[in-house]
Amino acid sequence: MATEVHTDHLIADEWSGGALPYRVGHKKLGMWLFIVSDALTFTAMLMAYSYARYTSDEWATPFAFSPSILFSTTMTLCLLASSFTMVMAVRASAHRNKRAARRWIGATMLGGLLFLGLHIYEWGHLIEEGLRPFSLPGEWVERWPQASPLFGASFFAITGLHMFHVFTGVAYLGMVAARIRRRTHEDVEICGLYWHFVDLVWMFVFPLIYIMSFDPAPPQHAKAAAGFVITHLFR
Amino acid sequence: MSTKFEGFKNLKGKQEIVLNAICLLFAVAFLVLALSNLRWAGDVMTIDSLFVMSVFFLLALVFLINPLWWAHQHGLFENAFGVGTEADYPAEEVHFEGSTKLFLAVLLGLLALTIVEVILAYFKVSLHIMLTLLIGLSLIKAAMIMAWFMHLKYERLSLVFTLIPALVMCICLMFILFPDSNRNRNLRPSEIKQTQVGAEK
Repeated sequence: MATEVHTDHLIADEWSGGALPYRVGHKKLGMWLFIVSDALTFTAMLMAYSYARYTSDEWATPFAFSPSILFSTTMTLCLLASSFTMVMAVRASAHRNKRAARRWIGATMLGGLLFLGLHIYEWGHLIEEGLRPFSLPGEWVERWPQASPLFGASFFAITGLHMFHVFTGVAYLGMVAARIRRRTHEDVEICGLYWHFVDLVWMFVFPLIYIMSFDPAPPQHAKAAAGFVITHLFR
Repeated sequence: MSTKFEGFKNLKGKQEIVLNAICLLFAVAFLVLALSNLRWAGDVMTIDSLFVMSVFFLLALVFLINPLWWAHQHGLFENAFGVGTEADYPAEEVHFEGSTKLFLAVLLGLLALTIVEVILAYFKVSLHIMLTLLIGLSLIKAAMIMAWFMHLKYERLSLVFTLIPALVMCICLMFILFPDSNRNRNLRPSEIKQTQVGAEK
């Protein structure tokens, strides 16, 4: 049973069975493979969005700083902070401190729920404005007359899929945290991997969807508000 | 150094060297093709040219993997990815590198890059430069998350080699859609396009 492990082995020895060539458990390897395939799903969605955007004559860029960019930046900060708390949870679990791990996972779930709340609020705002998967609000059409109506489709599909991933991640974390005493360290690590992946995807969705659709010329009332602030500040 | 290359004497060692030399030759050939495209293609910043270049670089990378792996096995650039040997990490023991300070530093770096991205939106640069900068910053952020948060920096090199090149390759293959989107755009009758032909979106 106790076989000696050589440090200077060749590839053939390592891959001929009986060893762990990646030195990770099969569950963790499975999660990594899922992450790679899911990354390709998101890449395909972002590619479809880029294709639609590049091939159309004009694309609506409606995200002014005041609600949209501010909201999405706050959401990014939420996700990044929750990623940090997740890594702290994994660290606590590695040190066999399950109670601390549960608390850190709770903080991570809080970050995820905050993200979800802000995101749903923002969706509601856009839907109220009149954005639909295959039609733009009247105001937008006036401002960008040639704009492709696919804006809504790409926006709702990509952020919706991501939101679904965040929701699943919160549920998954909750399931791990609820019975953390029966979970091994590897289980905590795997749910951490999934959570970091959700964060990683947002790092591409945020610049491509939000910042690339930044509104350089804010609407009149925002301009007026800015003018008001400036004149009263430097009077 | 000489003790590490005793494998040369037997047939298996020779076989490995010949195969790796062929792989290296192919890699160099593809690099030369990419560079010659850069030198003689004229306008490089077209989608076709960039696509061909990325294909050449990818093929060069694919052919380089085996020789680099072999070189790593034979002690060249030892521990380039911070991967320990068996003796460092016994399989039974849970190991976890990184301190709170390190993770906080990574978090602050990610936040700083996010703020830079938001500020970048205010600069009136052309769409291409903007997109390149945003994607570049996002790739840096993704690499930071994968390396430290997802712990990939401390995993074995074999895991990294299994996951990352395949992913990058598949993503690059999807770029084949862009010449088509360009063509699709130019196919449209000009009366529909009106004045918006060269408009920045």
